[in-house]
Amino acid sequence: MAGVAAPLLQARGLTKNFGAIAATDAVDLDLNSGDSVGLIGPNGAGKSTLLALLAGDHRPSAGALTLDGTDITRLPVHARVRSGVARAAQIPQSFDRLTVRENALLPALFGAGLGRSEAEGWIAEVLALVGLTERAGMLAGALGLLDRKRLELAKAVAARPRVLLLDEIAAGLTEPEIEAIMELVLSLREGRAIVWVEHIPFALRGTCDRLMVMDKGAKTHDGAFAEVWENPELQSIYMGVSDDHSASH
Amino acid sequence: MIRPWEIAALALGLAAAICGATLIGSGSLFLLCEILVIFLLAQMWNLLAGFAGQISLGHQAFVGLGAYTLFLAANETALPLWLVLALVPVAVGLVAIPLGLVMFHLKHAYFAVGMWVVAEILMQLAAKADWLGGTSGLVLRPGGNMLAGEPERVVFAIAAFCAVALMVGLRVFLRTRLGLATLALRENEAAAASAGIDVRGLHLMHFALTAAGTALAGALYYITALYISPNDAFQINWLIAMMFVTVVGGIGTLTGPALGTIILIGAREAMTAWGFTGGQYWIVMGLLAVVVLLLAPRGLWPAIAARRGATQHATTEETEA
Repeated sequence: MAGVAAPLLQARGLTKNFGAIAATDAVDLDLNSGDSVGLIGPNGAGKSTLLALLAGDHRPSAGALTLDGTDITRLPVHARVRSGVARAAQIPQSFDRLTVRENALLPALFGAGLGRSEAEGWIAEVLALVGLTERAGMLAGALGLLDRKRLELAKAVAARPRVLLLDEIAAGLTEPEIEAIMELVLSLREGRAIVWVEHIPFALRGTCDRLMVMDKGAKTHDGAFAEVWENPELQSIYMGVSDDHSASH
Repeated sequence: MIRPWEIAALALGLAAAICGATLIGSGSLFLLCEILVIFLLAQMWNLLAGFAGQISLGHQAFVGLGAYTLFLAANETALPLWLVLALVPVAVGLVAIPLGLVMFHLKHAYFAVGMWVVAEILMQLAAKADWLGGTSGLVLRPGGNMLAGEPERVVFAIAAFCAVALMVGLRVFLRTRLGLATLALRENEAAAASAGIDVRGLHLMHFALTAAGTALAGALYYITALYISPNDAFQINWLIAMMFVTVVGGIGTLTGPALGTIILIGAREAMTAWGFTGGQYWIVMGLLAVVVLLLAPRGLWPAIAARRGATQHATTEETEA
């Protein structure tokens, strides 16, 4: 990762302690525009905590985070979104009594900082992209699970993030639905960095050229997708049956 | 931004306020002033709780603060009473900002109850303060003289125009980007922050604005009363009126509080005329609140609007209905 230019997003020693437990432990991460990174690891590996640290839900116990060279470690969520880091949450967070269009309009107005008419035009594009154009006038609370997931993604994209964080946006979907989401993620890669946490290998393989593995709060692997994927250590970490692990007990 | 008919409504409201103030008899004006004050108070509480999603059980603090500020500034300075009245919401709104910054450390129910404690503390402080007349309170004597003429006429004109202006203003506000953000706040604060909305800042704005409006309404009321005491100005009955009117009428709707005010005051006047006591009135109001919340949890106005076959789903339109 010897960067020619400064990376878009840079995390150094990012740590979050909950009591005595380090949910993420000194994680370093460089993201460049155009990167699409799959993030995997067993449950409790610290993937969601890392995304929460990047999105601003949690303040890190230690470490620093810069976006385009600017320190954003202490920025609260709304300021983080405005500066260009947005996340689609694992459990869709919609404004149920607002319409689908209004749901997407808010991040375009406040996150991307667009004017009203510009935002309306942009939202029309985003809703078309995620396939919600026909439902634009519906209340968000009336949507089904797939559409709620689409709306969650639309809201994140509407903020025009340079770093897009995806937290298990395909979980609970059927295979054709996952394929639809994959196509969407592929179309979003240009001009931004994407980090996608997902337990569905084929979804990540089809969309990401980089794979990062976390275990027990620490980053264990980070590299070209195929290389990391073929790594024999990966299976043992992911399945939790490492040889030396059992040997040590 | 503002639509032609809304400007027309403002003009009509102004004309009605002036005509009413000059033509209506003094006795009816007192009642109308009270109705308008209750409506203004309820609409402020509705904006905070029904639209911005922040429940305060202590907004009576701002009724008392507004009224005491008015009495003190009018009595102790040579400033004209109506100028003092105009400055009251500004002063109380500014005081509400640091108060909000402290109180926002409490969340949800803790914040709501914490505000109640603030109101009780202010009542006790006012009762202990000799320079505020202690428990016996203050008489309104602008510049040291008894108030001449019929202040209720001016109070009515101001309150009536404010009521119309508030309805129009809130309609316009809900169409703006901040209005949309306010509705988002009520729905989901975490998602609002993720959309780039400064949740705390927006809450603080609503807290200060509703404090200012509540203070103005309180000051208007106590001009007609001419007398203020801590037990009256900071009493929880102000809050009960705001909540009853908003919740029974329809929380999170603009028309609901108007309907609620008519019910609250209309029932009181009717029951008094029929010879019922104040205690019996509150029993009936309590029962009414229970029945309404069981049959129409969102309040009467949304239930009526739904019955009229309103099938439109638009959200801002619905809340404006």
